[in-house]
Amino acid sequence: MTGPTDLPKDAKHRLDELRHGFFTSDLSVNEFLLVKESGFHPLGFVMGSSIYHTGFQGRRWTKSQELSKLTEAMYNARELAMTRMEEEADALGADGVVGVRLDVNYYEWGSDAAEFIALGTAVKAEGGKSYKNQQGKPFTSDLSGQDFWTIMQTGYVPQGLVMGTCVYHIAHRGLGQTLGSVGQNVELPNFTQALYEARELAMTRMQDEGNRLGATGIVGVRLEEKSHQWGSHTIEFLSLGTAVTKAGDDVTLPRPTVIISLDN
Amino acid sequence: MTGRAPEPSDVRAELARAAAWLAEGGRSPDSRAATSDLSMDEALLLHSIGWEPIELVFGVSVTSIQVGVWTWGMGELTSPSDAHNLAVEHASNRLGQECAAVGGHGVVGVRVDLEIHPRHVDVALVGTAVRPVAKTSHPPGRPFVSDLSARDFVLLSNSGWEPLGLAFGASFVYAPRRNASTAIRQSSQNVELTNLTQALYAARETAMERMQASGIRLGAQGVVGVQVEEGPMRFARHVIGFTARGTAVRLGADGHRHIRPELVLPLDDAVVQFEAESLRAQG
Repeated sequence: MTGPTDLPKDAKHRLDELRHGFFTSDLSVNEFLLVKESGFHPLGFVMGSSIYHTGFQGRRWTKSQELSKLTEAMYNARELAMTRMEEEADALGADGVVGVRLDVNYYEWGSDAAEFIALGTAVKAEGGKSYKNQQGKPFTSDLSGQDFWTIMQTGYVPQGLVMGTCVYHIAHRGLGQTLGSVGQNVELPNFTQALYEARELAMTRMQDEGNRLGATGIVGVRLEEKSHQWGSHTIEFLSLGTAVTKAGDDVTLPRPTVIISLDN
Repeated sequence: MTGRAPEPSDVRAELARAAAWLAEGGRSPDSRAATSDLSMDEALLLHSIGWEPIELVFGVSVTSIQVGVWTWGMGELTSPSDAHNLAVEHASNRLGQECAAVGGHGVVGVRVDLEIHPRHVDVALVGTAVRPVAKTSHPPGRPFVSDLSARDFVLLSNSGWEPLGLAFGASFVYAPRRNASTAIRQSSQNVELTNLTQALYAARETAMERMQASGIRLGAQGVVGVQVEEGPMRFARHVIGFTARGTAVRLGADGHRHIRPELVLPLDDAVVQFEAESLRAQG
């Protein structure tokens, strides 16, 4: 993680071309203009990906537990993709990456292999001020161009895309329990508890990442629950957000004009 | 492409003129009736910067791919990517020719329909040819082609940028299979599949590189609205395809103009974003 050493040859060639002022960006025109408006110039479309084979871990029918091997796989693969994307941005001399999307694609290569991919647009401040994060690396953020403009207006600066994940196996209910609750209005405590715990684990891990970046907060948090290809009782809880810090003085955001649009 | 305050267009006069033209039942040399797939507000927006739609224009190309290239191979398969590039280039040239024939300066809102089949590549482009209302400037030697909407075109030209053409690139790379012993050894491990990752990277970087090169050939300073499609080919699972395209843009002579957005708070009822059904059966 010390420099762009892990990048394939082809990537270097493309990035060399980008360093001479030509830019590519997957931002829409709106976002492109807003990023310019925030004082940044797009440098290039950057990406990182990893096709990853997830291992196997046995689960017990009646026991709710985290599947640490799968959690680790989800972490590792995303880290690989994110790190490669950051390396590309670093190679471009970027201050940050906006509009980051993290996706998992399943193809027909086999049931346990998935592509983890991180995409975004590397940007650089036009004023010459550095916006790199406290670790000296370009910031990453999944905020859209619109959100990026708005948050920069308020004096907050993004530090990094933070995430926490937890793959959890939720126990099946025993026959006795199932029969006992037939025809009744009852809470199912084992399911409730398992979902709670898994969510808390994912959220806590995300917050820890935020703390490590010295962030004052995390905005735009999303919590995704996916079963991927593991069947209904194994769920990945993924929380994602952009860690931000307060930089400089308060900037008063102009009072929004209230409008009612006539379309719809 | 000037960013001066737009002249309010006189819709009433426009309508009257169109009605008169229809009544005559003929096409005058300076016909103002337009066929376009733009929505009403897009057409009005175009008028707000002094441009008008002229005609719906098409460009189509079907290019063949050599037989048998998909099954076995090593590294990049050049025949499909050459076919892709030829097809897009021909289609976009034809679109430009149709546009020039009706006196347009460029085509906006181009819908790109691109399909890669085992034996051929189909490309169909449909867009609206546009020109400035005031016929002071001559049509450019090469009309621009842009897959940006008319709305985006207006925004871009208001802030001093001009579209030049489609920048595109594609690459198809054969991913070597893992040998059986590796596959078995890895079956219970958390590992990266380097053969596939590398093939994907090669395809992506080559395609992006080609897209950049095509943008640079157009004299652009950048490519916006890049869209990528990637993944194994439907009919050849061990070939990873990657296509990228976007609109090549150049900063006009006056430099970038800031847009100064204003904060608004719409009072429309919030759209329901949460659907309980979405929690069901996602896996």
